[in-house]
Amino acid sequence: MTSAQTGKKSEETPLPSTPLPTKRNEVFLEYTKSICPICKDVLDAETFAQDNQIFLRKRCPEHGEFTARTYGDAEAYFATMRYNKPGTFSRETQTEVKDGCPLDCGLCPEHKQHACLGLIEVNSNCNLDCPVCFADSGTHQPSSFSLTHAQIEKMLDTFVAAEGEPEVVMFSGGEPSIHPHILDFIALAQEKGVKRVVLNTNGIKLAHDKGFARALGELQPAIYLQFDGFDEATHLTLRGRDLRKAKQAALDNCAENNLWVSLTATIEKAVNEHEVGKIIEFGMGHPAARAAIFQPTTHAGRMIGFDPTTRLTNPDIVAYICEQLPAWFRKSDFFPSPCCFPTCRTITYTVGNGKTCIPVPRLIEIDDYLDYITDRVLPDPDDLRGALEDLWSASAIPGTAITDEHISYLEDCAACGITTPAILDDLADQVFMIVIQDFQDPYTLNVRQLMKCCVEHITPDGRLIPFCAYNSVGYREQVREQLTGEPMPSLIPNAGEPAPLLTPTPYGSQTATPATVHLTQARAKKDHTTARNRTNTGKNLR
Amino acid sequence: MNRTPDSSPVASHPNSSSPHTFDEKPAAGRAARGLASKPTDLDQYASQPASSLGEDDLKSCCASFYQEDLVAKVLGESYHPGGLRLTRRLGAALDLQPGEKVLDVASGPGTTAFLLARERQVEVEGIDLGQETVAKATDQAVAAGLDGKVHFTVGDAERLPVPDASFDVLICECAFCTFPDKTVAAGEFARVLRPGGRLGITDVVIDPNRLSPELRSLAAYVACIADARPLQAYQTLLESAGFEITQTETHDGALAKMIDMIGARLDLLKMTETPLLANVTSAEITARVTQCRTVVEEGIAGYALLTAVKRDEIRPQTR
Repeated sequence: MTSAQTGKKSEETPLPSTPLPTKRNEVFLEYTKSICPICKDVLDAETFAQDNQIFLRKRCPEHGEFTARTYGDAEAYFATMRYNKPGTFSRETQTEVKDGCPLDCGLCPEHKQHACLGLIEVNSNCNLDCPVCFADSGTHQPSSFSLTHAQIEKMLDTFVAAEGEPEVVMFSGGEPSIHPHILDFIALAQEKGVKRVVLNTNGIKLAHDKGFARALGELQPAIYLQFDGFDEATHLTLRGRDLRKAKQAALDNCAENNLWVSLTATIEKAVNEHEVGKIIEFGMGHPAARAAIFQPTTHAGRMIGFDPTTRLTNPDIVAYICEQLPAWFRKSDFFPSPCCFPTCRTITYTVGNGKTCIPVPRLIEIDDYLDYITDRVLPDPDDLRGALEDLWSASAIPGTAITDEHISYLEDCAACGITTPAILDDLADQVFMIVIQDFQDPYTLNVRQLMKCCVEHITPDGRLIPFCAYNSVGYREQVREQLTGEPMPSLIPNAGEPAPLLTPTPYGSQTATPATVHLTQARAKKDHTTARNRTNTGKNLR
Repeated sequence: MNRTPDSSPVASHPNSSSPHTFDEKPAAGRAARGLASKPTDLDQYASQPASSLGEDDLKSCCASFYQEDLVAKVLGESYHPGGLRLTRRLGAALDLQPGEKVLDVASGPGTTAFLLARERQVEVEGIDLGQETVAKATDQAVAAGLDGKVHFTVGDAERLPVPDASFDVLICECAFCTFPDKTVAAGEFARVLRPGGRLGITDVVIDPNRLSPELRSLAAYVACIADARPLQAYQTLLESAGFEITQTETHDGALAKMIDMIGARLDLLKMTETPLLANVTSAEITARVTQCRTVVEEGIAGYALLTAVKRDEIRPQTR
């Protein structure tokens, strides 16, 4: 306080000790809903900008205030908004609107987008015990499940009923490659008319079982291979084992069997963010790799400790890529995916031969096609917009026929001013995709994004639950309890902050201490009508 | 120096010994289209004594003389810096009203004409030098059901084939810089607009005086793409022709983006191992593109939007 502000008055009577109004050092942006990461109650939340970054903040009356960093570049955040494509209705929804988002999954009729990608976790068993696992899977857990052919068929039928001709089904786990019937499941999905089938794997079985690789080669699913980097420390921190040799062998076996691979990296701050450039370079040089997918660690399930206010987001990964490969990339080469909420997924494509790397967005004026807010687009008789929309969506899986067709088409079109398509045909194999996907966790969950999510968990009881709701709100625990018959504790991120409230589960994740649970239950008993959704309930809360 | 750039991509075809296979697409980028009416400039270029150019300049100009053809092709027919977004911006700046008559000089494949006809409900006459370009644009207009509102005619910006005072608005995107006689072209713009008619131009601007010595040789190259001038020079030119400038904006990012696009498309062509680029290495392409970007980043070259109104009476310039 300056003397000018306090003025003469201070000489006469002492001022009450109330400080002068001070300016907030943040810009309030929007009012939305989230959940308490501890008790999972639905809470009012707000997003705000500070230091050119975006944050989400909420306050639980029981467990206090939680702030999480959700987008590392505020300017880019605002720029992404015009890429927000109007959603598409599903053919049918699976639930009714009752308690409001995110408690009615799903999909409920309020959901804003159909499912581009349906995810099926075929088991909870794994051949690894990674320190980081949003699915809380492992080798020797107190309870586990493994789905049957009949269950998978029902799930696929649910998806087909909702989508007609589903774009993508991804088999995951656990570790799906160790499920004895995984090959049947892949074939079944293909028979049901799913356009692109993907196998998510850590690659251990692919590395050691040539017969399995050959069998996959016949079915031709696309492979999402867990691939976090090249440093031993990265492997030990994220996976608990040095898997470098296995990854190389898995990739080589894929190449041998014409399986196209997307290298899928979990990126954790201060662990492997320095390796994103190398992963891209390596991928471009390996004959089987067609994409690199970077996912800032999903802080749900099992994890190493983290700080929600400094966690990595999409623009951070873009910045690392540009820093590490300055000759190849600039920030402007990356565009948001319009089908989900545009801050969730960022994509680019390159044409390259190891020496040259050309980001595809430099070849086309993408803004002329993907601007949905003004929605005034170029007359587009060739439907270049359609090709771009597919390529910039969760359905884009390099190595699948449809995506490759769109890539070739885009190249031809992009190049139509320069040459005949024939010359460029050879280049289709040299296209490399880069995806950055920030999944939400109990800290960052924002219903605004969730309502437009296009990556859905297909559950055995016939629901399609948005991936981030599944991992954050309590659906995973609910489904796992159904499938194993064992009670599952409600999982809480290991964020350091609420440490006194946490205790480890037998699965390696964290849950609330009995005292915390007791508090939450007591409150629920007292006021059961508002216990789950405490939004807009007046004096009871705020 | 300013004359040498006048060699046009189209005009260079007969003299070019490059074994490329692009002849089926004679209409080059619109940026160069305005030049095509001056094939004699080629001869000027050829007959210019080498002594009038620095050796580096000459080399660079020779290289770019060759590349320019490529650059125009690499950009395709429809591209201009800023894309549709800047076209819309121009439409808004001109406050186009439904039913107004608009002349689009150097209309290329008609993208701008179609956009303005659809979104602003104006009637557009497109003028372009390329016969095939005009034929193609006309077909497109029919296909799009816009042939009632949009027409295309072959014509030269310096001798516009339209009557005096016959248009409400004239637009010219990324082409004015390429017109060899800008005074004549500006006079034509004034002639065909009604009194009070509006002019909208987007174009490359460059300040040759600010080029550092090491970038000086680049001037020839940049100038080869476009005989661009500083924004102030365009303003003076138009004022002399009877216009009052109403608005100017800079959009330098659009030019940087276009340079990126040229670089990316050259790289792509290089990857196809086309004989067209046999004499250039990837490193040389990268170096050239980087140089060009530097020129934009330093504010020496840029892109501008300018609107003007035709004064009711043209006052004599000297009094």
